[in-house]
Amino acid sequence: MNRIEHHPILTFPEKRTLTFYFDGKALSGKEGDTIASALHAAGVRVLGHHFKSHRPRGFYCAIGNCSSCLMVVNGVPNVRVCVEQLEEGMDVRSQNDKGVLP
Amino acid sequence: MRKTADVVIIGAGISGLAIGVHLAKKGVKDIVILEKTFPGNGATGRCGAGIRMQWGVELNCLLSKFSVEYFENVNEILKNDVDVEFWQGGYLIGAKDELEAEQFRKNVTLQNSLGIESSYLSPEEAKDMMPHLDVSHIKAATFCGRDGHLNPFKTVEAFVKAAMDLGIDIEKNTIVTGIEKTGGRVSGVKTDKGDIKAPIVVNAAGGWSKQMAELAGADLPVYSRRHQILVTEPVEPLQSAMFMGFGLNIYIQQVPHGPFIMGRGDADEPTDLRMTSSWKFLNDMAETVTTLMPRLARLKVVRQWAGLYNMTSDAQPIYDEAPEAKGFYHACGFSGHGFMLAPATGQLMSELILGETPSIDISSLGIDRFKGDMLLPLESSVV
Repeated sequence: MNRIEHHPILTFPEKRTLTFYFDGKALSGKEGDTIASALHAAGVRVLGHHFKSHRPRGFYCAIGNCSSCLMVVNGVPNVRVCVEQLEEGMDVRSQNDKGVLP
Repeated sequence: MRKTADVVIIGAGISGLAIGVHLAKKGVKDIVILEKTFPGNGATGRCGAGIRMQWGVELNCLLSKFSVEYFENVNEILKNDVDVEFWQGGYLIGAKDELEAEQFRKNVTLQNSLGIESSYLSPEEAKDMMPHLDVSHIKAATFCGRDGHLNPFKTVEAFVKAAMDLGIDIEKNTIVTGIEKTGGRVSGVKTDKGDIKAPIVVNAAGGWSKQMAELAGADLPVYSRRHQILVTEPVEPLQSAMFMGFGLNIYIQQVPHGPFIMGRGDADEPTDLRMTSSWKFLNDMAETVTTLMPRLARLKVVRQWAGLYNMTSDAQPIYDEAPEAKGFYHACGFSGHGFMLAPATGQLMSELILGETPSIDISSLGIDRFKGDMLLPLESSVV
């Protein structure tokens, strides 16, 4: 588990659990998560591979700037999962190409 | 910088570079190209770099046909191996209404008579060619498979390399401050880096050609209008042909590495040399493109910018010697098509300057046509 549950100053109230799918595999996140934070909490480190170099790409800037976390969400490519809220039942897939428009 | 030259060209855009290269190939020595910033920083590097032979007037067909054939053999002609990324996926042009469709029928007849293999298509045939286009917005279309687009930066690189190989000096960051005349003839150019004596000066300043003409006391009936353009994130190949609509006011292409590029002008805007980007363009273009191509709605815009169209009243260029200053030549007023016409510009201007018979009759593209009623038929096939 990679989620901070106890903190000396902040409190984290219990949130509803959401189920979503990463490359077809069911995972769970919390309400209020971004897709990237839910994946990170579930231990997923490789979000996709660069279309040209085929090197793994991971969670990097976390503010929607760097393009490292582009994934296919519900069939839409090039979604910046670090700034996209997690929703119940989302189909999240790693992206290894430039993205095919739905 | 040299103190004297045989020819000084103002502007290292694609037109000025092509004129320089062609003069040098014909044996002219001591050519200097003056550029206020760097090569291709004006409209050349800002344009969609489309090239098409589908025009509504004969001369534009002939000039662009010359250019297509040139770009097909550009490495041989320029004697270098720069890949200009000439993508010949064709141009699909959509007619917004019956009036345009009628004009397109005439255009195709004209183009076919000049050896340009274009065809007239029904909306259904256009749909087969471009499945993501919502053809309920067009009445007809035309297509020519030899049309396409280039990478303007690589094309500038190819011409700059050729120019340097031929011994042409390109003076970057050099601003022209005056044009000297002696007895009705041009005799030199003043710049912020020093003066050059030259018997021949070529005005290839694109958006700023009117201002350059004024320095020589020459009247040039052109004005410059901002056209805007945007680029999206790259996606896998979806669209091979460039799509264009005149009434629809759009051109849109997918460049080889994946992004879509789309642009238009706004006839209601002031013509004050502004080159800024506007929110309105982003909004209007998004509305147009998502109506025509709903699949593109999820594409994210990466960047937008603008460049200047140097317009004439008949939307056709001016290739001529200025009557006010012998030896001062204009190659301007391209009305948004300077990039695609550049090879023809280089060839024809070099012939004009050296007193040779032009490869294509351009006597009707003189500056006198704006004085009386000698205007050419208006080219309506313009975005």
